[in-house]
Amino acid sequence: MGNQQTGPTFTGASQYVLDEELANIVNISMALEMPLLLKGEPGTGKTMLAHAITESLGMPLIVLNVKSSLKLVEALYQYDTLTRLNDSRFGDSSRDVSNIEDYIRMGKIGQAFVAEQKTVLLIDEIDKADTDFQDDMLDVLDQMEFDIIEIDKTVSARHRPVIVITSNAKKDLSDPFLGRCNFHHIAFPEPDMMRQIVRVHFPDLDNELLEVCVKTFYVMREFPGIEKKPATRELINWTRALRQDPDFRPKDLVQGKIPYLGILFKKSPDYQQAVQQIRRRRV
Amino acid sequence: MFVDFFYMLRDSGIPASPTSFLRLHKALKIGLITGLNDFYTAARAILVKSERYFDIYDQVFAHFFHGAELPDFKAIDLDDAARTLLDEWLKDPQALADALGISREQMQSMSPEELIKYFLDRLKEQTEAHHGGSRWIGTGGTSPVGHSGVHPGGMRVGGRSMGKSAIKVALDRRYRDYSLEGPLTQAQMGEALKRLRRMVPVGPRDNLNIEETIEATTRNAGEIEIVFDRSLRDRLKIILMIDNGGWSMDPYVEVVQTLFNYARSQFKDLKTFFFHNTVYDFVWEDPPRRHKPQRVQDFTTWDPETRLIIVGDASMAPYELMATDGSIHIEERSGLPSIDRLNLLSELFHHCAWFNPTPLRLWPMTRTIGIVNNIFPMFELTLEGLDSAVTHLMSRN
Repeated sequence: MGNQQTGPTFTGASQYVLDEELANIVNISMALEMPLLLKGEPGTGKTMLAHAITESLGMPLIVLNVKSSLKLVEALYQYDTLTRLNDSRFGDSSRDVSNIEDYIRMGKIGQAFVAEQKTVLLIDEIDKADTDFQDDMLDVLDQMEFDIIEIDKTVSARHRPVIVITSNAKKDLSDPFLGRCNFHHIAFPEPDMMRQIVRVHFPDLDNELLEVCVKTFYVMREFPGIEKKPATRELINWTRALRQDPDFRPKDLVQGKIPYLGILFKKSPDYQQAVQQIRRRRV
Repeated sequence: MFVDFFYMLRDSGIPASPTSFLRLHKALKIGLITGLNDFYTAARAILVKSERYFDIYDQVFAHFFHGAELPDFKAIDLDDAARTLLDEWLKDPQALADALGISREQMQSMSPEELIKYFLDRLKEQTEAHHGGSRWIGTGGTSPVGHSGVHPGGMRVGGRSMGKSAIKVALDRRYRDYSLEGPLTQAQMGEALKRLRRMVPVGPRDNLNIEETIEATTRNAGEIEIVFDRSLRDRLKIILMIDNGGWSMDPYVEVVQTLFNYARSQFKDLKTFFFHNTVYDFVWEDPPRRHKPQRVQDFTTWDPETRLIIVGDASMAPYELMATDGSIHIEERSGLPSIDRLNLLSELFHHCAWFNPTPLRLWPMTRTIGIVNNIFPMFELTLEGLDSAVTHLMSRN
């Protein structure tokens, strides 16, 4: 794995425009072997960062999508009781019914531990789960091992995975949890950065269209009373739609005729508010 | 190394732990941090665990490494609102001097900050000695000091710091709108709504639905198929009571109403009422408080599971709260003091919360705030207060 001085460092990837600050934080977290907790507005590239890290470092990516009902044990391993019951009743499979180990499957965290090489483990939207899950997971990630009760074995991590945790900040994470991670808040990109990001996605985009799209986008973000402001993801989808529309001219945006608002504003009250604001500005 | 910096962060309110500080040193030892910019980023990622502290971190960093002025986190801010208040009063300097009990020359020799501080000291004395104490020059009988901590500048969250020195970045104060200081403003509406979204009681999908499971299994010719249900609970009913009398509450009435109206779809029922200063026998459905009275006594017939949310500054002369003829409106005379009414409401509705736009540190200065706080759990009208209030309102008991 290389000693810490000359270990692999993260310098960005092809589809992801990197903030220098963020690159530093990622490298420090990797060197300190601590999980990195990312928070930020939805749609600002938290999940994409994990993908970018794997691309840059050439490691496989394992994604654990956290659901509200997720129990820790499911993330570690699953004891497939139904298949075992099925096999014991019909008895025609190649598995040995009396050996429980055949029916233990590794969950995402388990997979990251037993992998042959170092992996990137992305734990997406951890704030969806309850605090019990978060605290229990703490212990596992700290010890880098867990027990499988059914077969009385301990699974230890062969290589410590690079852990990236994302949170949409709907609920607060507990203090002990926060204490064990490094923290970064991904701020919303400035117009310059945003232009670069859109360029990366559409290398052959017309300059005039790019300018006018980004400008209108930031104006719309300033509309008052919007609950979910359009984020990077919305801008990229919107640009794609505008580009493909044969009837669209950049002049339309300047004159205040803004099509495909539904791509930008996903909530009905927001949509209506946006329509009102645009009408007001035209007058 | 940097121990002073660490303690300065802690003093300013950031809960940085010693363990994380040691980790910072480990990072320094490894040789990852090669300059002030790197240090800024690394220290923030390792020591500061929530974006609500980023603004304070920026200020402390700019002060420690650049000598930028550090706001005194314990003293009282003199901001725009307080300044305009002072300008109002100074239009009649003689009256102000008389009220403060100092000579006009003395008053003119004091700086605005000193004047306000003097004023507040007198205030402290007065509320303890006199019992009719909250009437101030030009305030019409309500809160003593303007709204400190309001950040009027719009949202300016920037990201890219390439090429910019850490000092400049810190001085930029990019995270100001995430900071939880200051009462709720229009700009924070989005963040506030996110907090309110938690007020929906729904459980996870872990209730075994036996009938459906049996049916699904038989349909599968004996292959076991398990069906789960989400444990649903009824959506909430909310009563919102807003103090919309007097000018001090004006900026907040609209913000609160907009906030709850936006979130209307997630509640089963939302009813809004208005009152002035405190609740007597009636609350009104119409903002002018004239046409649609609702008798407070009639709330006994309402569902006790309804969440009662009251928004007001709870600042008035104590007799308005305690005396049987306390109401400043001559028509309201029923013989029951307002405090009994408030007690009645808190007994009828177990889950209740009072939002106060006055900052927490000024609460001890007004006697009535303390009295109301003993009846209703009181929260600041900030994002943080909203968080705590929602947790309180959603608790099972």
